[in-house]
Amino acid sequence: CTPVQRNHGYIPTEDMIAGLNVGDSRASVISAIGEPAAQSVQGQGAFYYVQSRFETFGAFAPREIDRQVLAVTFTPAGTLQNIARYGLQDGNVVILSRRVTDEQVGDMTFIRQLLGNFGRVDAASMLGTSE
Amino acid sequence: QQSFVFNTITVQGNQRIETGTILTQLGIQRGQAVSAADLNDAIQAVRASGLFENVDADLQGGTLVLRVQEYPTINRISFEGNSRISAEQLATLVSSTERRVFNPTQATEDANRIIQAYANEGRINASVTPSFINRTDNRVDLVFEIVEGAVTEIERISFVGNSAFGDGRLRRVLDTKEAGLLRAIVGRDTYSPDRINVDRRLLTDFYQSRGYADFRVQNVDVALTAARDAYVVTFNVEEGPRYRMGNVTLSSTLPEADGAAFGNILRVSQGDVYSPTSIDADVQRIENQALRLGLNFVRVNPIITRDPASLRLNLEYRLERGERLFIERIDIEGNTTTLDRVVRSQFRTVEGDPFNPRAIRESAARIRALGFFSDAQVNTRQGSAPDQVVIDVDVVEQPTGSASFGVNFGSDDGAALVASYQEQNFLGRGQSLGLTLSTGETNQVLSFSFAEPMLFGRDLRGGIDLSYRRTESDYALYNTSNFRFSPSLQFPISERGRIGVNYALTYTDIFNVDDDASELIKEEAALGEQWSNSVGYSYTWDSRRNGVDERTSFGFRFSQDFGFGDTTYIRSAALATAQTRVFSDEVLLRATLEGGYLHYSDGESRVTDRYFMGSRVMRGFRSGGIGPRDENSDDPLGGNAFAVLRLEAEFPLGLPEEYGISGGAFLDYGSLWDVGKQVDGVTIISDDAIARAVAGVSLFWTTPLGPLRFNFSTPITVEDYDNTRGFELTVSTAF
Amino acid sequence: CSSNESSVLRQPGALDAYSAEQVFDLGEQQLNENRLDDAAFFFGEIERLYPYSSWARRGLIMQAFAYHRARDYENSRSAAQRYVDFYPTDEDAAYAQYLLALSYYDQIDDIGRDQGVTFRALQELRRVIELYPDSEYATAAVQKFDLAFDHLAGKEMEVGRYYLSRGNFTAAISRFRVVVEDFQTTTYTPEALMRLVEAYMALGLTDEARSAAAILGHNYQSTPFYADAYALLTGRGLSPEASGDNWLVAIYRQVVRGEWM
Repeated sequence: CTPVQRNHGYIPTEDMIAGLNVGDSRASVISAIGEPAAQSVQGQGAFYYVQSRFETFGAFAPREIDRQVLAVTFTPAGTLQNIARYGLQDGNVVILSRRVTDEQVGDMTFIRQLLGNFGRVDAASMLGTSE
Repeated sequence: QQSFVFNTITVQGNQRIETGTILTQLGIQRGQAVSAADLNDAIQAVRASGLFENVDADLQGGTLVLRVQEYPTINRISFEGNSRISAEQLATLVSSTERRVFNPTQATEDANRIIQAYANEGRINASVTPSFINRTDNRVDLVFEIVEGAVTEIERISFVGNSAFGDGRLRRVLDTKEAGLLRAIVGRDTYSPDRINVDRRLLTDFYQSRGYADFRVQNVDVALTAARDAYVVTFNVEEGPRYRMGNVTLSSTLPEADGAAFGNILRVSQGDVYSPTSIDADVQRIENQALRLGLNFVRVNPIITRDPASLRLNLEYRLERGERLFIERIDIEGNTTTLDRVVRSQFRTVEGDPFNPRAIRESAARIRALGFFSDAQVNTRQGSAPDQVVIDVDVVEQPTGSASFGVNFGSDDGAALVASYQEQNFLGRGQSLGLTLSTGETNQVLSFSFAEPMLFGRDLRGGIDLSYRRTESDYALYNTSNFRFSPSLQFPISERGRIGVNYALTYTDIFNVDDDASELIKEEAALGEQWSNSVGYSYTWDSRRNGVDERTSFGFRFSQDFGFGDTTYIRSAALATAQTRVFSDEVLLRATLEGGYLHYSDGESRVTDRYFMGSRVMRGFRSGGIGPRDENSDDPLGGNAFAVLRLEAEFPLGLPEEYGISGGAFLDYGSLWDVGKQVDGVTIISDDAIARAVAGVSLFWTTPLGPLRFNFSTPITVEDYDNTRGFELTVSTAF
Repeated sequence: CSSNESSVLRQPGALDAYSAEQVFDLGEQQLNENRLDDAAFFFGEIERLYPYSSWARRGLIMQAFAYHRARDYENSRSAAQRYVDFYPTDEDAAYAQYLLALSYYDQIDDIGRDQGVTFRALQELRRVIELYPDSEYATAAVQKFDLAFDHLAGKEMEVGRYYLSRGNFTAAISRFRVVVEDFQTTTYTPEALMRLVEAYMALGLTDEARSAAAILGHNYQSTPFYADAYALLTGRGLSPEASGDNWLVAIYRQVVRGEWM
């Protein structure tokens, strides 16, 4: 059976990147290669463009088989400083922490859903699906 | 430039509206220097509030006196003279409301809305005049006096200029109908200008999808009959020549996409009749292929150039750069119980991905297919930047489960507890849970089924089924009991194919067999309890899973279970179905071929293992009414093999949509055979594959309980010992 | 008066002979007998029969209150809206605006995940706080505003975690940045910063991860989230085996308990 492939994210094409040069402002970078997919926390930091390809084989988890990261960094004055590229190999496998902030609003409880359904009949169970 | 300063501002004539409110609307403070223009604007603002009949001000030295006369408030709104449209419906059209301020312009607007509503109902010469009766305390009753005017039905619809298709055929295409026998019930025989416009488009679509690319409705003239009580509608059409496709090419203006990679997926070919729907299907295929190749922002533009000399249309699919848009956010609202991830996981695109309208439409279809929502609207709006798009998903939840609890007292076997709980969206997680329990004397059932569609967060459906059934069947003289425990997994292996794997542990037993039951069954019962394990796989393929909505669709399912342990067997089953819509998509035709074969290599099948064709597989027979049978005890013995061909048609009965009733016809042709053993002293009749044929009509009725199907069948060729059945009520299942 | 008597009085024109005050008393009587729908009807009738009396104004606010207690949020909302439109400067206007806000806010707990209603609640609560700052409802409105705001942040986090667990790191980063920038006052900010550290680390952008962890350390040093982030940064993060999660435990946690991380 053939693995199902899927692409996510977007990397500007080579000729678009070639149009950038040192000293450009953030706005001109955005107009050249589009809004960044991710930025640093304070928002005044670097621009990141990421494109990755996932492959799913049968029942197994989708695997990221290729990732291109384009990092555009700026000087504190806000002009383009450097364009760097990272790949899948630069990434780390991170085990996500299972700690979650507790929610005030709980999910639907079993009892409430049971009562919600009470008395409602659907045709299949009524007629008894004859094999 | 004259300016004023007021030390006091007084308001006169206001009864209900507070002076404070008027002052805030005026917006001038005491002691504030105000120019003539500002003063005028302020007074204009008070007028604009729509609360006052008139507002005027005069200046007495340092004080500004504002004299207002309030509009009366509406005490009651009523309608007189309406019969065709009810007062409640009219009330929803009217914007003036009781207890609020009466505003004459609003009243006349409401009157026009009512007139328009009547025009849509075919009463184009209805008249509506708003009038009001003064009440005490500056209140007023608003009355809409309605004169509905005579019903204007359509006596005859005729066509001028049509040669390819006859008047009768074209009339079936239109939405407007001639006033026939069902004149009182059918509403579509009244003349309504909007419906005529719909008809113009229906006619154009009908002709264009049959090759008449130049078809035009020149004009529609509507004349009163001599008796001036009904209309005659005539459509003047210009058919133009019938075009066929010339050469079909594919070109690309994008450097990264070359035409060759798309060549073989086109279905429209030279010589085909011109049809916009099949061209659109091709466009969908090309865009899907572009997605697969990872090309972003590809838009397919089908360019048609006409060659009148050879009556050929040359078609060029040109790949062009679409708008470079990205999905900024996907916001899901209205999911009161369903968890966000259950809806979000139906999207194959992720926030930040390039925006592809087709992929979003497919995701919307998948969300609706969940069956958890009565309505699911997916639409896009501008994001925080010109190239950013926000996807808004607004869903309305609907009940997805049923629970019933009952005790029924059978005459002979005492109280039976019956409880069932079915839920398709358990705890809003998209999981399905089913639990039924019934402890009657004649049959006890305990069944539990659970499925998680997104096991480990992947497109991996994990399921577990457990059932125990003990029956004292009314059509045979013995008891059976069987138990089954089966975990299963199902996952996609290609865009349209899915594979399932399962393990099953089964236990069967046949006991207290009546002494005049069939000797064969007695022998089988002598084997006592039997446990068996089996592992199995199933492969399903559905043509509709690639998002190209075509008129015809195919489905295929093949499964095999390999039994090991006390007995070793292979149970294979296959089902292939094809479905298409004809007669401008109103009639559905479906053909299904289904078969099963049970082959024992060690041990033999028993009556609890063999197939008994229920009405879901072949209609027209009582339970166990078809298939091999013991000649003297007349016990049905079931068969190791069955095959059936079901031909069905579903069509509307012309009743209005809201009744939810449609008709159908079917022909079932098949057989059940091969008991797989010989027992001396028992002659088995109909052990070989004698084909039976049954035909019938059915009535579909979608009720709040679910889609019901009433089947009326008559046997065509059946064996004389078969037990046929003329009527059955089942739940109608769509393919 | 008993319930059948009140149904007699609900016939059209039955109340015409009553004075505004009498109808008001009828309404209050129904309210005390907890027949909320009847009470709301009578308070509404005052407005219709005697629109200019001061009773009409008091009737309107009582109508909004009665519908609200009967959890009939639609009618309560329209009555409160009418009061705010006609009598914006009156002493009960603050309470009317507060009732208007509650008509959305009280729906939040049974609408679970729905974001639209929460947003409307925030808008109306802000109006209570800004238009009537010194009314006795302003403090209650501020407290409810924070809870509703927290609820919105919870929704952003839920979506962020969804994308993080599926490996769509840029989508997750954008969602968690929304929480850090627009929802800093909520209880989710520390976790959002830790998730940012995880996402940046996964992409291999270690200096971004370090700057996010610095903010987390600076403001939320004592939270367990900082401990997790710090461990991740210094390479002593959970190793795959240590998380002790074979597939059976994973099924139990995700399928039965519905925890997804």
